[in-house]
Amino acid sequence: MTRILRWAVLGFALAMSAASAPALAQGGRAEVKIDHTAKAVLKTDLRMGDFRALSGDKEVQETAAKLRAVVANDLLLSGLFRVGGAGFKPEELPFSWTIDATVEATAGGGPVTVNLNLLTWPDRQLVLTKRYRPGTEQVRTTAHHFADEVVRAAVGGEGIALTRMAFSRGAGNRRDIFVVDYDGEGLLRLTANRTLNLCPDWSPDGTRLAFTSYRGGQQGLYFLETATGQVKQILAMEGLNLGADWSPDGKELLISLSKGGDPEIYRITPEGKIIKRLTVSPAIEISPSWAPNGRELVFTSDSSGTPQLYMIDREGAGKRRVTFEGKYNDSAALSPSGEWLVYATREDVVTQIIVMRPGGEERRVVTDVSWRNCEDPSWAPDGRHLVFASDRTGVSKLYVYDVVEGGFRQLTFGNDPDITPAWSH
Amino acid sequence: MKKSSMYRLMLVVFVFAMALSVLGGCSKKPAVVTEPAPVEQAPVEVVTPAPMPEPVAPVLPDYANLDPSKYGVEDVFFAYDKYDISDVSMGVLNTNARILKEAGVTVMVAGHCDERGTIEYNIALGEKRAKAARDYLVSLGVPATNLKVTSYGESRPFAAGHTESDWAQNRRAHFERP
Repeated sequence: MTRILRWAVLGFALAMSAASAPALAQGGRAEVKIDHTAKAVLKTDLRMGDFRALSGDKEVQETAAKLRAVVANDLLLSGLFRVGGAGFKPEELPFSWTIDATVEATAGGGPVTVNLNLLTWPDRQLVLTKRYRPGTEQVRTTAHHFADEVVRAAVGGEGIALTRMAFSRGAGNRRDIFVVDYDGEGLLRLTANRTLNLCPDWSPDGTRLAFTSYRGGQQGLYFLETATGQVKQILAMEGLNLGADWSPDGKELLISLSKGGDPEIYRITPEGKIIKRLTVSPAIEISPSWAPNGRELVFTSDSSGTPQLYMIDREGAGKRRVTFEGKYNDSAALSPSGEWLVYATREDVVTQIIVMRPGGEERRVVTDVSWRNCEDPSWAPDGRHLVFASDRTGVSKLYVYDVVEGGFRQLTFGNDPDITPAWSH
Repeated sequence: MKKSSMYRLMLVVFVFAMALSVLGGCSKKPAVVTEPAPVEQAPVEVVTPAPMPEPVAPVLPDYANLDPSKYGVEDVFFAYDKYDISDVSMGVLNTNARILKEAGVTVMVAGHCDERGTIEYNIALGEKRAKAARDYLVSLGVPATNLKVTSYGESRPFAAGHTESDWAQNRRAHFERP
């Protein structure tokens, strides 16, 4: 039986009894001052301390080892830390922080008890302590939860350790919606309806996944409830029901519908009612994506002859063209801060990922021709990472890119093509 | 021949015959009218013809349960990035129209693209191809309600390779059961 959303289950299972307020050190010294002004490109040096198993039993020891490995990896993947004990010798870095933990069997049986602590280094002032009681399936989630707390406390940033990517996997007549943790673990299959399912998009609160399916023989928009796995049909208009994009406040979606003859951008309610039609033209209008301020959106139109990016406001006014370089531009997405625009551009034999300012400045080609066909970039909520699909190995797989540092990490593996990824919020 | 001409002819014959009999009887002698001699008729044998075989209806394909390619409906192909119906395609669609009008069944026209280009734009382009084929069939008299349209873009290819030949095979409007 598939599990759908382990971290939702964790929410019930966690017993977070310890407060997370900064703790006063012994002797009544002043509260620790945390500097949140460090720029993202400068890394914070953190030392992984001991994760002590307080009893000899195997489960306790394995939990301790696993927690340590996952917390260290989460802090590394955030891009914000250099982590000692994971490639650096403790003496080599001027650490500012350390993490240690204890894991013990609980009197009376049941899940183990874990205490995780964040302290300054070298003076070891306790800044954050958390207690968890994870079941055996919840150890990774516990580590992710704590890693996000560390990012917030040490750097003032937003962690992504609890995020996931939804995507479409499969070939031929069958492509299904899958979900994977942002670190590549915990792969889950969410649909098995023997047809094409693609273009998933997460609601801002993570409770629903919108996607397009050819269930029932024609294209429709469906929602999957992430807590229960239930799928509900929202729209099945004639023609395209494609590229749903949830608004930042979660109250509506953008979608491309061709029921009027050719594909146009519409705003719809989560119940499937049309709020407003935003584009009117005999051209193809697709790939809508909200700006983070919810007041305007970017989309693709081939009204100039080939697909290009445009922006328009939520009432359908103020249409202006955004891309002037390249013959074929599609799949745009604005970063959570609105500072960056990412999209795919097609040259003759390859499709490349481009990042630039929304006004066109600082245009950078992210993937060179060796990456072959790269599509459907999607931002992480930290506004620093993005996921995209590339067939550089011969089959389409998902990769994560760090916009600040450059650098790629392969996210998914295996023989079936993975396409249309969406990073959760 | 037409009824009115026939009546005219009969009238002429009748008048002619009457005229002949009147004219023939113009001498002073009274006409001798004799009954024609009864003709011996051979007894008529009633022959019962052998029963005709029941007319056999021509065998029609089970249209509703067959893939359209099985009863002669063929796919049409497109140039790169285009959705125009070529001359060759028109010929194929002319034949398809005749078959579909005869069959009277509903089919799905599905648009497909090669793998170049983005997933979403290819779904839109595939729909344009399917609609172009559909509109042409409607212009030849196939009822629009019998033609549904969908598009799979590049996501359901016929040829799995990455050569020009594979790409050409994938740029098509395909006919399938709805």
